Amino acid sequence: MPVMQYREALRSAMVEEMERDANVFLMGEEVAEYNGAYKVSEGMLAKFGPRRVFDTPISEAAFAGLGVGAACCGLRPIIEFMSWSFTLVCLDQIVNNAANVRYMSGGQYKVPIVFRGGNGIAHQLGATHSHRMESVYARIPGLIVVAPSTPADAKGLLKSSIRCDDPVIFLESEKMLADTGEVPEGEHLVPLGIANVERPGSDVTIISYGRPLQRVVRPAVAALASDHGIDAELIDLRSLRPLDVPTLLESIKKTNRCVIVDEDYGYCGMGSGILYMLHKAAFDYLDAPIEYVHSDEIPVPFNHYLEEAMMPSVDKIVTAVKEVCYR
Amino acid sequence: MAVANHVERRPPAKRTEAGVRADNAKPSGNGQKSDPAQPVGQALTSGNSDGTLERLRLRMMVLIRRFEERTFQEYTRPGQKIGGFCHLYSGQEAIAVGTAALFDKTRDYLINGYRCHGHSLALGMSPRVAMAELFGKATGCSKGKGGSMHLFQAEAGNNGGHGIVGGQIPLGVGMAFAQWYKKNGGVTFCFMGDGAVNQGTHNESLNLASLYKVPCIFVVENNGVAMGTQVERASAERDLAERGSGYNMPHRNVDGNDIDQVIYEFGQAVARGRAGEGPSYIVANTYRFRGHSMSDPQKYRKTSDGKWVPEFEAARRRDPMVIYERRLRDAGLLSDDQLEQIESEIAETIDQAVAQADADPHPALADRFNDVLAEQYPYEPKKD
Repeated sequence: MPVMQYREALRSAMVEEMERDANVFLMGEEVAEYNGAYKVSEGMLAKFGPRRVFDTPISEAAFAGLGVGAACCGLRPIIEFMSWSFTLVCLDQIVNNAANVRYMSGGQYKVPIVFRGGNGIAHQLGATHSHRMESVYARIPGLIVVAPSTPADAKGLLKSSIRCDDPVIFLESEKMLADTGEVPEGEHLVPLGIANVERPGSDVTIISYGRPLQRVVRPAVAALASDHGIDAELIDLRSLRPLDVPTLLESIKKTNRCVIVDEDYGYCGMGSGILYMLHKAAFDYLDAPIEYVHSDEIPVPFNHYLEEAMMPSVDKIVTAVKEVCYR
Repeated sequence: MAVANHVERRPPAKRTEAGVRADNAKPSGNGQKSDPAQPVGQALTSGNSDGTLERLRLRMMVLIRRFEERTFQEYTRPGQKIGGFCHLYSGQEAIAVGTAALFDKTRDYLINGYRCHGHSLALGMSPRVAMAELFGKATGCSKGKGGSMHLFQAEAGNNGGHGIVGGQIPLGVGMAFAQWYKKNGGVTFCFMGDGAVNQGTHNESLNLASLYKVPCIFVVENNGVAMGTQVERASAERDLAERGSGYNMPHRNVDGNDIDQVIYEFGQAVARGRAGEGPSYIVANTYRFRGHSMSDPQKYRKTSDGKWVPEFEAARRRDPMVIYERRLRDAGLLSDDQLEQIESEIAETIDQAVAQADADPHPALADRFNDVLAEQYPYEPKKD
């Protein structure tokens, strides 16, 4: 299997799907002539030409809405946001239009569109550029929310998202784009709505996704095994909506303990939503209350040390795991 | 053509002639017979010279007016059958019917704000299906899930009624973008009210449409007041056509109460769009005869002793339906008997629509879970 960067995996998914279907096009700020603000779309303008790869002005509401309108009329847009934080200015287009138009019309439209870009805290960008938008979108019926944590999943989930007839919120991270990993060539499709048991284990179920999984959860799981003798089962959600409750439940039935880790705020955060789903279904199988490791309830500070301190860390995860394991 | 001789105000006689020519450019059918049960939107686009087409247009204006009057009654009568927000189109009919006269259902789109009953009827939605949606019934165009503000008929190119002011404008650009992408010569009529021009999406969308040269016709239906805020209290530029300047596209005013002027001006924009010359911006100046929504006491139009202000009385005298009716009479294209027949057929159509909608079932409770997503989940695409 070829080894490639996360950004290359994203690009290969887009290129393959654009080669496969002439109705797929890419639009966003700096995606064409600049070759991508983060070089995800590098070379795509040269390959597909200006009729399928579009630079936009800084008008998120207009180009997000353009994508929705085009999707209603048979095209399959990929809309790149430079940051998901910027979608606060076009929330109406995604929530009211992309997610609702099918329902409000009694099923007259399909909305096959992918919105993709970097989500969450990407190091010293300050409060306005560091929003974790997953819980904003994952609570909306009519949307699919996906967050790949490896290059292979970046490709497989993006290809599936582009082929999906529903609007997909595709959450990447600027801090994962240079990650490398093995990526299957060609027709690599990862299903939407199925979690991945990344590491089987017997003592505790750890649930995470995307950037936090890559940044702190994997190191924490390794530390638990090597330093604390705790065999954690690590589940990468892959899809935040719909949530793969059966896989989570199956794991908790085995381990009887669970810790959720994300970089969202705890109150009304992504993990709170997951907790709600699990609390109902897993209560009888739990030997300890589910722990939730999340960011502090403050705007994201600029200072490196303050920012680092507000987020989940290996230590915070280890502490939470020991708590649920009564160690 | 005789119709052109009686434009009431700001009469660009030449334009109206051109408008009529544009209609005749499409080959006529045999002049469709008025059938109260049939939606007549398609018929509006086929012309002939004996007045049949003109009477169909008038008929559609009458249908919309009577539909809205009946909607008002059904909303306000005891045992209210229509719930939620409801915005009537009375007084603005010439704009929707003029649009329908230019509309090619095989490739054109229309998208709208929430004042969408008139446009939907004009594009051929049956009054029964529209009324059923207002009643929230399963037989409504949106299966009772959309309501008054969300009338959709995708197969007719009617891409809805949208509830958030200005939220539909980027979608309209996207629909025009799809037409541009497919190179099918279609155009999108992107409607909004005068309130929407002050939303950020208005600026962003006009710029993007012109930048990409997509065939989008922005139509601002300026009825003078956004809910209760008059244009002059909301827009620093009082000439709303000027709000379309700075985007490198034609922008102009049209008398939205004169259907022939509407057809002419919109026709220019349609031709431009079909020819690949990009978007246009048209402000159709009109007046709504009813309140913003059903709960609006219209105090902003009344004197302290409860009488209508002179502006309102003047607007009533420029009723687009009456203007057109007089024009057709003066041209010898409409007789008392014909008008009476139109009115009686429409009264019957609307009675039937209401009776049927009333008798129709509510959606099954289990149907509330349907139409959320198009795919089944977990979703795994089939491999090639």
